[in-house]
Amino acid sequence: MLVTDARIIWNNLKGIVCVYKPAGMKVSRVRRTIINKVCTELNEMECRPPVKHVYISGNPSEKLSIEVKPNLADDPLVVGRRYSYNDLLCSWSNYLGQFTSGILILGLKGGTSTAKYIRENKSTRAYRIKGMFGLATEDYSKDGRVVEKTTYKHVKQIHLEKLLSYMQAIHQKTMFELCGVDIQSQTAYELATQGLIRPATSKTPLIYGIKCIDFKLPEFTIEIQCINEYEMYLKSLIHDIGMKMNSSAHCISLQCIRHSYFTLDHALLHRQWNLQNILKNMEQCAKIIAEHEHIVFQKNAALQRG
Amino acid sequence: MTSKQTLRSKQIMFTCFKRFLSANKEYQRSEEYTKTLPVFDYESPNKERNRIYAWGSSKTGALGVRYIKQQKLLSTVRHPRRLGFGEKYNVMSVASGFGFTAFAVDSPDELKVYGTGLNTDSQIGCQQIGNKPLEFVFFPQPINIPFHNPKRIKIAKMSAGRAHLAVLTQDEGLFIMGNNAYGQCGRKIIDNESYVYNPTVTRIKNIEGKAIVDVVCGQDHTIARTEDGALYGCGWGADGQTGLGHYNAESKFTRICGDIERENIIKIACRSDFVIALNGIPKLNNHQPNIFIRYILDKGEVFGWGNTEYGQITTPDDRQQISVPTFIKSCQKLGKIVDVASGGSFCMVLNENRHVFVWGFGLLGAGPRVQQSLIPIQIPPQLFGLNDFNPHNYVASIECGLSHLAAVTTEGDLYIWGRNRECCLGLGTLNDQNFPLKVAIGGYVKQVSCGFDHTVAVCGAFTAG
Repeated sequence: MLVTDARIIWNNLKGIVCVYKPAGMKVSRVRRTIINKVCTELNEMECRPPVKHVYISGNPSEKLSIEVKPNLADDPLVVGRRYSYNDLLCSWSNYLGQFTSGILILGLKGGTSTAKYIRENKSTRAYRIKGMFGLATEDYSKDGRVVEKTTYKHVKQIHLEKLLSYMQAIHQKTMFELCGVDIQSQTAYELATQGLIRPATSKTPLIYGIKCIDFKLPEFTIEIQCINEYEMYLKSLIHDIGMKMNSSAHCISLQCIRHSYFTLDHALLHRQWNLQNILKNMEQCAKIIAEHEHIVFQKNAALQRG
Repeated sequence: MTSKQTLRSKQIMFTCFKRFLSANKEYQRSEEYTKTLPVFDYESPNKERNRIYAWGSSKTGALGVRYIKQQKLLSTVRHPRRLGFGEKYNVMSVASGFGFTAFAVDSPDELKVYGTGLNTDSQIGCQQIGNKPLEFVFFPQPINIPFHNPKRIKIAKMSAGRAHLAVLTQDEGLFIMGNNAYGQCGRKIIDNESYVYNPTVTRIKNIEGKAIVDVVCGQDHTIARTEDGALYGCGWGADGQTGLGHYNAESKFTRICGDIERENIIKIACRSDFVIALNGIPKLNNHQPNIFIRYILDKGEVFGWGNTEYGQITTPDDRQQISVPTFIKSCQKLGKIVDVASGGSFCMVLNENRHVFVWGFGLLGAGPRVQQSLIPIQIPPQLFGLNDFNPHNYVASIECGLSHLAAVTTEGDLYIWGRNRECCLGLGTLNDQNFPLKVAIGGYVKQVSCGFDHTVAVCGAFTAG
C-alpha cells in the first residue's frame, strides 16, 4: 500500500464490501473477524501521534521553564490503541444462516445506510442448493439425526423438472397476491403485464426461478432465484421436493451465488480478508452501485435483475 | 486501570468464550444407527394414471363430489379438487357440459364412458335407483352405449352440449344421446317426447360414406367433421349456428357450405351459439393411412357463423345472426392461426407465434377497462408466465367456457380468467378475474374442459413418464 498514514485510510473506509461467507460460520463472526482485521492493520500503520501538552515547571517566584511534550494522557499505552472494535461501524444487508455459504454484503461506516437500503429494496438472490434423496433428517440438514430411509431409484430428472416448473408457476401467482394491489384494479393488470413484480411484504418468501442444474442420483442440485427467503425455508423446500417425488430428501449444501448484481467473482474469500483487499473491493462495489442505482433507490415495483 | 480498558478486557474474554461456544461443531451422524433403520418404498404403482381435478358448482353433481343441501356446506368447490374416480379408473379425456361431466376411461371391461351430474334429459344415460329414474347423479356412473365390440372400442373424442352428449369412437362412428328437441342428436324430432329415462342413443356410422373424425357440441346443436375436412351440422338453428343457410331446426346431419365449402377444416370450436372453424391443407401420413389423417397446418384462416350480437363478426348491414359460414377478416392480420375457441359472447384465437387474441364482449382478459372489442386484441404473453426466468413458456392450447376462458402452456400450467360463475375459475375467490392467472393444480395439465359453471382438467403426475 502506498499510503502509510492510517488516518487517510480511515477516512476513505466507507462503503459496501462483498465477502464470501464460509459454511459453518455465523454472520456475526464474519463481521467480528473483519472489524478486528481492519483495526489491527490500521493500528500497525502510522497512527495519530499523541497531542502536545505544554508543561510549565519551576518556582513561580523565579524563572519558569516551558516545555512542549507529547501528552501522556493521549498515549496509546494509556488510552488503548487508536482504532478499536467499537469504532468501526459494520452491518450486513442480507442475513445468511450458519449452514449457508456464499455472498455476504457488509456495509462499513457510512456504507451501513447503503446496506440498509439494499436490504429494504428486496433485491433478488440466487442460491445453489444441493440435496440428497434417500434420507430424511430431523432438521432437514446433513447434520441432523436420520428420521427415515427411503428408496430413490424411481426418481428421474424429468419428474423433478416437472415439479420445479409447477412450483415456479405457483409462486409467480402468489406474487400478485403479495404485491399489495387489489387484483380487480387496472393497476394490478398494468403491474402484471410488466412481468415479475416485487412483494410488498418482507416476510413471505417468494421464488421467481427454480431449475434443476445437476442430477446424479442420489444427489441433485437446484438453482433458485428468490426474495425474502431464509435458511430454514430453503432446507424445507428440499424436504418437500423429496416427499413429492415419492421419496425423502435432505439438504447437503446451500450456497448464495448472487445478491442483486454482486456475484461470486466480486466476493472476497476468507483468506483474502485484509485491509488492502477490502479497500479494493469497496471500490469495485461502489462502481456496481453507481451503474445500477435502482438497487439502492427503487422507483418501480417491477422486478429488475437486481 | 481505566474503565475503558476494563471494558476491553471483558470484551476479549467474552469474545473468546463466544468463539468457544459457536465453534464449528461436527455433528457426526451415527452411521450405525442409520443402518438399523428400515427402508421405505413410496413409489406409486399407478403413477402413469391421469389425475382428474374439478372445481365449480357442486349443486348439480357435475364434479362427482357429494353435495347435501345444508347451510354449513358450501355449494361450490373453490379450489381444484382431485377426484377419487381418477384413481380408480384411468381417465383419458373428459367433456363437461351444462351441469354434467362425462369421462372416457381406458378399462379392460366393457364400460368405457362414465357420467355424473344433471340427467334430466338422459344425457348421461339411463340412471335409476330401484325403479325410480335419477335426475341428478352425484358420483360417476357407467353410461350404457350399445357398442358392437365394447371391449376393444376406443373413445376418440367426447363433447357435451346443454343437454346432449356426443361420443366419437375410433371405429364405430358417432354416438349421441340426450335431448333431441331440436334434432341435435341427429335423429327425427318427435313432438312431446319425454327425455327422462329415455334410452335412445343415435348412432351415426358415417356421413355420406365418410368417417367422422371430430365432433363439437354447441348449446343445442352438433357439428361433425369428416375425414376430408367437410363440416356437417344439425340441431337448433335460430341464430344460424348450424351454418346451413336457414334459421330452422335440422334433425339430420347436413353439409355446411358457405365460405368453408372448399376449405379443409382442421378444427372447430363452439360452446354456445357461435361456431368458429379453422382451415388447413391436408397431407396424408403414410404410417397411418385412412384411419387418421394428420393435417399439417398451412393455411390457418378463421371462419365463423351463428349469433354475432356481441361483435364476433362485424357485418356491413349489422346483422346479428349469420347462418352461412363467413371468413373473419379481422383475423387476417394476425398471421397463421393454430388454435381457436369460442365462448358465449367472445372468441379467442392462438397464432403461430403463440400469441393469444380475444374479441367480443365480456371479461376478455385485457384488464378491467376492456369490456368489449370488435377487433382482436392481444393478451400480453407476460400474463401467461413468460419472463426472464421462464423464457420458453408459451401457450399450447386454448379453451373457452360459456363465460370463462382458459389457456394451457407448454409446461403444463393452466391459466384461467373471466366471469367467476359459481367459482368455476378455481382461484379460491368469489371475484371475477380480469387477466389470466395460474390455477394451482398438482400436476401438468393435459386437457381442460370448461362447462357452464364448472371446469374439469385431466393432469399427468409429476413422476409419470
